[in-house]
Amino acid sequence: MPKSSRRKHPIVNFYWRKLTFFAFFFAVLGLGYAGAQTFSADTNKYMPPTDAADLTISLKITADGSVIADGQKLKNRVDTTGQSDELILPILDNTGVGYSSVHTLMTLPADVVKTSTYDIKGIHGVDTLSVTAVSDNVIDYYASGVGPDATLSVIINMPQGTIEPPLLYRLYAIASKIKVSAWYIAAFALPIMTLIFMIGFIMLETRQQHVDIPKKETDSPPMALPPAIAGVLYHQDVGPREIAATLIDLAQRGDIYILDKERDFAFLKNKLDQRLLSYEKILLSKIFKTNVLSNKGEIEQRINNHLYSQKISLVASGIYVLATRLGYFKVNPQHIHRKYTIIGMGAFFVGLVSFLLSMTIFTNPPYILFFWAGMMISGLIITVTARDIPNRTAIGQQVLSNWLAFRKYLSNPEKIPFSYESQELFQKFLPYAIALDCEVAWAKRFSEQDFVLPKWYVSDALSPGLQDFCLSLFPIVSYVARSLASLKEPGFD
Amino acid sequence: MDGTTGAVASQEINVDMNSRPWLLKFVYGGGVLFDLTKWFILSLAILVIINSLFFSIFIVNGVSMSPTFKDGDWIFWSKSTYNNALPQRGDIITLSYPGDPVNKTYVKRIIGLPGETLEIKDEHVFINGTRLTEDYLNYDVDTDPEGVWKLSTDQYFVMGDNRPNSNDSRFFGPVEKRFIRGKAISRLLPMFQLVKDM
Repeated sequence: MPKSSRRKHPIVNFYWRKLTFFAFFFAVLGLGYAGAQTFSADTNKYMPPTDAADLTISLKITADGSVIADGQKLKNRVDTTGQSDELILPILDNTGVGYSSVHTLMTLPADVVKTSTYDIKGIHGVDTLSVTAVSDNVIDYYASGVGPDATLSVIINMPQGTIEPPLLYRLYAIASKIKVSAWYIAAFALPIMTLIFMIGFIMLETRQQHVDIPKKETDSPPMALPPAIAGVLYHQDVGPREIAATLIDLAQRGDIYILDKERDFAFLKNKLDQRLLSYEKILLSKIFKTNVLSNKGEIEQRINNHLYSQKISLVASGIYVLATRLGYFKVNPQHIHRKYTIIGMGAFFVGLVSFLLSMTIFTNPPYILFFWAGMMISGLIITVTARDIPNRTAIGQQVLSNWLAFRKYLSNPEKIPFSYESQELFQKFLPYAIALDCEVAWAKRFSEQDFVLPKWYVSDALSPGLQDFCLSLFPIVSYVARSLASLKEPGFD
Repeated sequence: MDGTTGAVASQEINVDMNSRPWLLKFVYGGGVLFDLTKWFILSLAILVIINSLFFSIFIVNGVSMSPTFKDGDWIFWSKSTYNNALPQRGDIITLSYPGDPVNKTYVKRIIGLPGETLEIKDEHVFINGTRLTEDYLNYDVDTDPEGVWKLSTDQYFVMGDNRPNSNDSRFFGPVEKRFIRGKAISRLLPMFQLVKDM
């Protein structure tokens, strides 16, 4: 069993800070919701006097549908979404006080008593109930023997149009009357249309920014570029591969060593190289801080201690800025990502806020929730697909075409014949192979050669072969690169 | 490679977070929230939709449906069953109390259907003059008080299985279909059992 197969680097770390953030966020959310529920339950609820055995409540319905009880405006309103303008008002509910008699005198906004239907309902301890019309616009709801646990409700159904609600309530009424199937269609159509639009847009841009796929391969990099720049030209994104390629490139140039132990690994800083690019310096400072040696535990600590890393964002910025300055992109890809992130986030949060509002405002069943969920999914689609929008200039397309010719060489399945020079060829182009997604194919080209361990890779295994080397190195670099890439700050990736 | 590297090495990167304009800080703040919570929020939204429109759990408060459901039982119920079907006699339903539909939800059994005349007489239920067989009641349970209800084309008569201890249509009248919220499918706790097997 090769040593490398025993190596297990976690794919997902346990981020204590992220966990703390979540715990705090949802604790605040939960408390806020509980508080809002309590506030909503307690405010604008009619509180009857408790010092009288016989109670008379003056209830007034205004022209806009508001309800006023003994001068106090209640949260209940006349519902104008149905066939009639309806008010169902539990005027007394488990008050803890008993009453011999309760008269509720309801004044309507117009003389519509004769064309209205009205009722009184009482449960949990009410002796008798009756309703009588006092005049063309006043109704007397009467209950006797109302117990302390009783719920007494008054109901009126006025002809449709009696109430003229404010604009928002009219909109609510319109939304309530939309058919369920319409919400289903809208909810599914919105993300699907967004996806179709984004794919169409990407395809259109891709057609316009056509990159020639070279027929011939070239056996050397088309130009002297840092592997991360070649990677970002290829992916249009700074991800784990660009960081991994940079690490191997730094090792290749003698700036770092990679130490591979049985169950551990470490990075060793070799020297202070003045020729380092800014983003390389920042990457090294993230890994080493002020130390010369940084082992797995220390690197993990530096990664896990942060929700996001400004340094890694700057590494990404540096790579994007370089590639843009070299003329490969029309606009800095980071700006494109940010623009679409803002649009996607906007759609997501608008959907979320509307979803929450609809939950509060709409009574059962709130089919409009489908629509807002669809909007949230559309926001996610925008943020995910925007990374694939082509953004390369004509120069960028041409240069990428050249790099694809080199990639063709790297991933050619033919074995490379043994020669003294070819022994170092593997490690020389390895950073580019990683940046261009073909490191495994590149390694396979050397499978029939005697493997010479790179100077920058120190292992405690006895003379590992190429396979052992790859199976040990790739997980280390991939793990570190993926962990670091995940620390890019939102909006700066 | 060194030549190119040297040519671009002089690039400057702004490393000061405080120098970021307010818009970028806003993007950062919103982005953090979005990045950390998007999948959780979306999952939660889907659960809310399922809970609001399709299936939910109702915890029985009271003994009005005893012995079928006892106080504290968890009932799994469907909110969409009656979207395209009418409630049937014997169905156990959740309904909004017509006097306070927002805050009070009950679980009852459908006894009378639209258009029928329901009479309670001699401690039994009669539908259109025919005595209703109610196997779900305890043998010693009597139905009171006496009365006659003529149901309109949209009204249902509901009662709890524990007739002496149930507030139902006998007291608050027949209920319109719009107040019927769904159909009980099974008891979840304390022991799973399908309603149809009860």
